[in-house]
Amino acid sequence: MKASLFVEGSAQAQLKLKEKLQGLNWPFLLLITAITLVGVAALYSVAGGSLEPWASRHVVRYCFGLALLLAVALIDMRWWMRAAYPLYVVALLMLAAVLVVGVESGGATRWLGWGEFSFQPSEIMKIALVLAVARYYQWLPPSQVSWPYAVLPPLAMIGLPILLALDQPDLGTAALFGIVGGGLLFLAGVSWIYFIGAIVAVIVVLPHIWASLHDYQQERILTFIDPERDPSGSGYHILQSKIAIGSGGFGGKGFMQGTQAQLDFLPEKHTDFIFTMFSEEMGFVGAAVLLALYLLVLLFITYMALRCRSTFARLVAAGMGLCLFAYVFINVAMVTGLMPVVGVPLPLVSYGGTSMLTMLVGLGFVLNAHVNRETRIRREELGVLW
Amino acid sequence: MKRRRDYALRLRHRFSRRAVLVGAAQTGLFGLLLWQLRRLQILESPEYRLLSDDNRTTKRLVAPPRGTLYDRLGRTLAEDRENFRAIVVPAHCEDLAATLDSVSEIVPVSAADKDRVLRAARRQSGYFPVLVTEGLNWRQFALLSVLGPQLRGVRTDRSTYRRYTNVQGMGHVLGYVGMADKAEIGEHPIMRVPGFRTGKSGIEKGFDAALRGQAGTVNYEVDAHGRVVRELERTPGLRGKDLTLTIDQELQEFAYKRIQDLRVASVVVIDVKTGGIVVMASYPGFNPNDISFRVNPKEWRELAKNKDHPLENRALRGMYPPGSTFKVVTALAGLETGVIDPKERMHCPGGYSFGGHYFRCWKSHGTVHLHEAIKQSCDTYFYETVRRVTIDRLAVVAHKLGLGQIHDIGLAGQKPGIIPDTKWKRRTLGVRWYAGETISCGIGQGYVSTTPLQLAVATARIASGRALHPRMTVPAAGEPEPALLDIDPHHLELVRAGMVGVVNEAGGTAGRSKLTLPNVQMAGKTGTSQVISAKNRHRLKGWEGETHALFIAYAPVDEPRYAAACVVEHGGGGSRAAAPVVHDVMTEVLLRDPALQPRFVASNDDVLGGAKGQIR
Repeated sequence: MKASLFVEGSAQAQLKLKEKLQGLNWPFLLLITAITLVGVAALYSVAGGSLEPWASRHVVRYCFGLALLLAVALIDMRWWMRAAYPLYVVALLMLAAVLVVGVESGGATRWLGWGEFSFQPSEIMKIALVLAVARYYQWLPPSQVSWPYAVLPPLAMIGLPILLALDQPDLGTAALFGIVGGGLLFLAGVSWIYFIGAIVAVIVVLPHIWASLHDYQQERILTFIDPERDPSGSGYHILQSKIAIGSGGFGGKGFMQGTQAQLDFLPEKHTDFIFTMFSEEMGFVGAAVLLALYLLVLLFITYMALRCRSTFARLVAAGMGLCLFAYVFINVAMVTGLMPVVGVPLPLVSYGGTSMLTMLVGLGFVLNAHVNRETRIRREELGVLW
Repeated sequence: MKRRRDYALRLRHRFSRRAVLVGAAQTGLFGLLLWQLRRLQILESPEYRLLSDDNRTTKRLVAPPRGTLYDRLGRTLAEDRENFRAIVVPAHCEDLAATLDSVSEIVPVSAADKDRVLRAARRQSGYFPVLVTEGLNWRQFALLSVLGPQLRGVRTDRSTYRRYTNVQGMGHVLGYVGMADKAEIGEHPIMRVPGFRTGKSGIEKGFDAALRGQAGTVNYEVDAHGRVVRELERTPGLRGKDLTLTIDQELQEFAYKRIQDLRVASVVVIDVKTGGIVVMASYPGFNPNDISFRVNPKEWRELAKNKDHPLENRALRGMYPPGSTFKVVTALAGLETGVIDPKERMHCPGGYSFGGHYFRCWKSHGTVHLHEAIKQSCDTYFYETVRRVTIDRLAVVAHKLGLGQIHDIGLAGQKPGIIPDTKWKRRTLGVRWYAGETISCGIGQGYVSTTPLQLAVATARIASGRALHPRMTVPAAGEPEPALLDIDPHHLELVRAGMVGVVNEAGGTAGRSKLTLPNVQMAGKTGTSQVISAKNRHRLKGWEGETHALFIAYAPVDEPRYAAACVVEHGGGGSRAAAPVVHDVMTEVLLRDPALQPRFVASNDDVLGGAKGQIR
């Protein structure tokens, strides 16, 4: 039995649809549905006790996204593996295209649009990046993981979208690429030495670069990193957000009773600041429960990743988990005043089509990895690029 | 192969270790978030709660109810009434027109009001509340308050408005209220409160500080844009002090109606004991309700532009030459200065020569002494008297009687009138006094001018012998009686006797206005003052050229209770136009005085004595 598990060279047959459906992790789907329902309730409250305009559409988008999730999960993993690099290239091109023909909105150019339809290429890039890096390490011989020249391609894969995102400028997305990319390198098994080296290099070099900058350049960067420096702008928003969360107290002000949110003191309360209004109305208890739900999902993902046999499946699942974590952490840290305002939505809860679909597609890949947890892939099946 | 598999296995183990590490790190970072939430929501929550309340609430001042005004018998004259209003916030309505239709099923809403609301909703932000209708009665208000929550965007609201009751002839005395004007706004923040009104004239202005009260506060919940969402709590202000006036509403109304047939006239009646003003009527007048609440600009313009100036209180602001009524002053001055003897007889040939100028008397009286001169109003006698007195000594006595000065009764806008003397003339006209000018002053012409209030005060002082001051509010208990007048009581008595003769003796100028009441007599003095010299009479045609008719009086003669003064502008002769008014008003006043009831009852007994005996 044990021997047969490690037999290589015999191509495994594709899983049957029935097997795939059985392999889906249904409790996991229940968990993310629960989080989404929290979002629906919050959006209902934000609208002053009305399904319109947000809550109902949130549900519709979730249903659509769920279908997408299942489709992604049920498509053969090998197909996705082959699609990884092309998808990455397309995403990178679109990200570059934003800089040229993008639609400006709120001081940053992040959108590509065709008529009515518009979307953020950076969302696609989040998924494509995970797939591409996972694809790379599936191909890379395990013995070469920590070889210097072998670290360079994934570094480039991560670095390019970061640079493009910074150019938009979109610090939140750039940080997200960084966290996801760095985390993937770490999980792929790249030696500690690289990480320690990178940290040391940043610590040593950064002050020198900083010192060489002009005052106005420093100021510009500081404001870029920390918009609170501009007190009339987002500093006001963060203060109002902290007031809202703090005044919620332990038990909250009650559903639809949040004065800060209902009376319009909160900005973007249906999107980026929805956690604020949720914890104002539901208090510490509600906020803790919501965070616990997210943590449960994350731990679930880690567990699923651990059970996968192929490097690709492991890294895809773990990478999507990192992405989800980065979203939640950055968003909550931002609204509680731990981090500067960077404009990152709360996955599944914030209102917003692109982020909802991206997140569900990402979770679809997690389930895809889970469905294919027993699938082994021979090195010989893969070319360098195709 | 083996080696490579080892690498793969090692890498998988490395992944497992690191995945667990990453999972732990994620859990730890979530712990950090929870820690921050604990700090905000548990440790520092009270602070943030304060900030949040501070954010969402705003304190606003509320106008306190204004003090109520009562007449001397406790009849309500002016009070703040609750004003129930229906208000709509268009932004909260699903369909404004439909909402208005629903509201109009509960309370009457005119088509014009609906139109106004719809227009207002289009013009301004939908979050500004719009008044639908006001002045609802309690039933309508209660109904709308109950049904309101079902109609989104509709709410009820209560404020106050000033209502004047028993208002006939009361306008000038009470005055009216209005929005604080620019000068007042800096005084106190409450002046900015919508709906707050300050007194603009009359008692409302004179006693404004007392009537105003102290502002209350309301905490409102507001949203980030400062729009009021709802009322949280209310601290009622201190309502203004109530005032009981000396005015008698029924007598005031009677007097006002009595002078309505005359074009312009005013009557003042003063309580001789206290100085309290019982009647102060001036015609034409106005209804303060018309200009205190929902002012109609057209009516206001008409009031302000009317040639007869209905907004002017003639009793305080009308300056008239007192004419012959002033002779009592001249007589007193003559007696006080000792230049005449009451028994001294003077000859009146129908005029008087002085300095090459001939001063006419209204008829040839023959030989008269003081009593006859007052009774028949002989000009010649007083020409001679005033010549001897001289103007400065005349002015001293006039001032002692309360003429030529403003009496502080709490009503603004009083005119001082003029009691001329040499200093006055040099000061105001810059030229010296000519002796010839004194002569006409002796009969209340020339530079002399007085207001009806002053005439009433002078009469009251002569009648009582006390230096009483007129007043509008009831005196506090234990207030000392007015001081004695600095005039020889014997001289006063001589003048009073003359005034009694005017009304009650044969040949008196006001004999026709003798009281018909039993056991009560009235004393008085007529006056007919020229508005223009006889020479220029032709320049003013009709009404405006007519003489002013005046009459001063007090009653009862044996124990004076009330003093009155009446001026009928361009009314002709004092005895014909003014004395009958005083007669009627004084009769009404005396009949209502409880202190005089025993007299009337006693006379009834005299008359009915026989009849009663028969019944028995």
